[in-house]
Amino acid sequence: MRLLIVEDEARLAENIARSLRETAAYAVDVAADGEAGLNAIESNPYDAVILDLMLPKLDGMQVLERVRQSGRRTPILVLTARDDKESVIALLNAGADDYLTKPFDLGELLARAKALVRRGKGQASAALTIDDLQVNTADRTVSRNGRAITLTAMEYRVLEYLAHRPGAVVSKKELLEHLYDYNWEKFSNVIEVYISGLRA
Amino acid sequence: MQPNSIQRRLIATVVLSQSLLTAGLVLTGVLYTYWRLLSTLDTSMQARALSLAALVRYNDNATGDVYFDDTMVPPSIDPARPDVFAVWANRSGLLARSDIWPSNVELSPGGDQHWNAKWGHVPYHVLRMSNVPILDRVEGPLSKGPQTLSIIYASPTVRLRQQVRAAGIIIAVASLVLLVLMAKFALRGVGKGLAPLQTLAEQAALVSTQDWELRLPEEVEQIAEIEPVARSMKETLARLQRSFVQQRDFLANAAHELKTPVAVLKSTLQSLLQRPRSSDEYRTGLNQSLEDIERLERLLQWMLRLARAEQWAHGALRRNLELIDLNANCEEAIERVRSLARSRNTQIVLSRNGPLLLRGDPEDLRLVWTNLLENAVRYSPEGSRVEVDLAQDKRDLARLTFKDYGVGIPSEELPHIFERFYRGDPSRTRATGGFGLGLAIAKALVEAYGGTISAESTPGKGTCMTVQLPLDTG
Repeated sequence: MRLLIVEDEARLAENIARSLRETAAYAVDVAADGEAGLNAIESNPYDAVILDLMLPKLDGMQVLERVRQSGRRTPILVLTARDDKESVIALLNAGADDYLTKPFDLGELLARAKALVRRGKGQASAALTIDDLQVNTADRTVSRNGRAITLTAMEYRVLEYLAHRPGAVVSKKELLEHLYDYNWEKFSNVIEVYISGLRA
Repeated sequence: MQPNSIQRRLIATVVLSQSLLTAGLVLTGVLYTYWRLLSTLDTSMQARALSLAALVRYNDNATGDVYFDDTMVPPSIDPARPDVFAVWANRSGLLARSDIWPSNVELSPGGDQHWNAKWGHVPYHVLRMSNVPILDRVEGPLSKGPQTLSIIYASPTVRLRQQVRAAGIIIAVASLVLLVLMAKFALRGVGKGLAPLQTLAEQAALVSTQDWELRLPEEVEQIAEIEPVARSMKETLARLQRSFVQQRDFLANAAHELKTPVAVLKSTLQSLLQRPRSSDEYRTGLNQSLEDIERLERLLQWMLRLARAEQWAHGALRRNLELIDLNANCEEAIERVRSLARSRNTQIVLSRNGPLLLRGDPEDLRLVWTNLLENAVRYSPEGSRVEVDLAQDKRDLARLTFKDYGVGIPSEELPHIFERFYRGDPSRTRATGGFGLGLAIAKALVEAYGGTISAESTPGKGTCMTVQLPLDTG
């Protein structure tokens, strides 16, 4: 899964990104202002976006509106300092899927991001089952017929993405786009290694 | 209805004036009826008195002696209550008296007169006539000469009084009915007339912090009495809305400014705790947290300064003021920003023109100059200069200008720079460490001393801030 964080407070963005990479094994990109965020959303198929409201150049609300106007269905979670009903209602009506008020709990943000990702893929449960294979995205465990399987972080990333799209044919390009951040092309040869590792 | 009600007062006024009118009407009606009936009675009595005179005849002896022919006495005016009369001749004396005569009543002839009397509990109207000629004619002269008559005729006024009373009752009842109708009418009219006030109250109750507009139907708004009320209400609402929006924006901005460093701090600590880290990672995390706390601390300090300045501006904090020379005060502020200026290789040039005395808190004013100077230095290119000029504008006005040759302020931003938390470009000012509060604090303090602050700027060339302060001339 690949997420985008649009946040001008560099340290906050870095903390969220680190958390998402470490505990959810997501690929994470960071944009520091609204314009960069909008460009990134328009040129990459993110599985979810975490969007701050107060941003330089283009504020979060405008980014949200433009993304929805262009017809993109990317799940978006908005970070806001305001928790009054009116602004929350305005946010959701503008096309936000969820929101969190600052200061938030990092664990809650991760759980909400995961929920948005699986909803975006048409899934509801954090525990995915394909035939005899179980993938639990909440605690990142994989088992087959009740027997736990140990995977590397990258192997898990690949498997998690495939498990979210059971029965679908997933191209290598699609996998690359969703599993790596900005510099995915240089990893393009590595993907076969992970796939063969998973097949084994 | 509450005791103090316009409607009630109006209706009371209407009913009271109508009641007075009714009372006057009843009284007039009664008096007029009485007068009319009495004059009719008078006429009838005169006619009867004259017909009594016709009953006085001369004797056949041609002396002039008279007698009263009582066979043709006219009937009483009120058949149920007999009239009373007496006839005298000037020589013959009392000629006749009615059969019924009230006891203990003695009457004598005299001049023409009529009056009311009460004889034996019966009210009478009495008519006295004198020098009434005898109508009977005889042939030839009378040896003792002709005689004249005095007549008293009295008629009971019981019936007249009854009639007057009846008329009075009829007029009073009719007036009362009209009065009640009038009151009802007034009630409805006043109620209808005051209905726009009800509309005004209802619409005013609908005004809320979500919807500040007072909507009145045009026909209500154009009523002469309502129009000024509605207008001043709308003006007040507009003022309230402005300050409400300002406060709300301030709160939203303050929330954002406070919550962001807290969010950063929290996320740093939480991500540190997510898994075991190396001691280097912990050290980095703790150092970052410390920086965030320091930023939070600075922001709190600025916000408290602003709150204090604004309270002071509203006169809530009156302190003991001392006499300050603005020249010295400004020099102290320049000393404070000296190290910042040196680090950017910027020169601060002060030109002074005589003493400028002012009563105030020296720290307040130093804060104003420090804020202006810091901005000037920050937005100047390295190695440039900031010019401070102190002058006496009029006899009682100091004029201080702070001129820099920096980046300037775009004209669309110029009207907003004194607003709280306003920052032209957030990324730029965040890098310089400002919160967008310095100019707001300066403005609040300058205004607290009855002064003004304004800015002129040419983008790319520089900015000039001008402060005018009233001086202590006493």
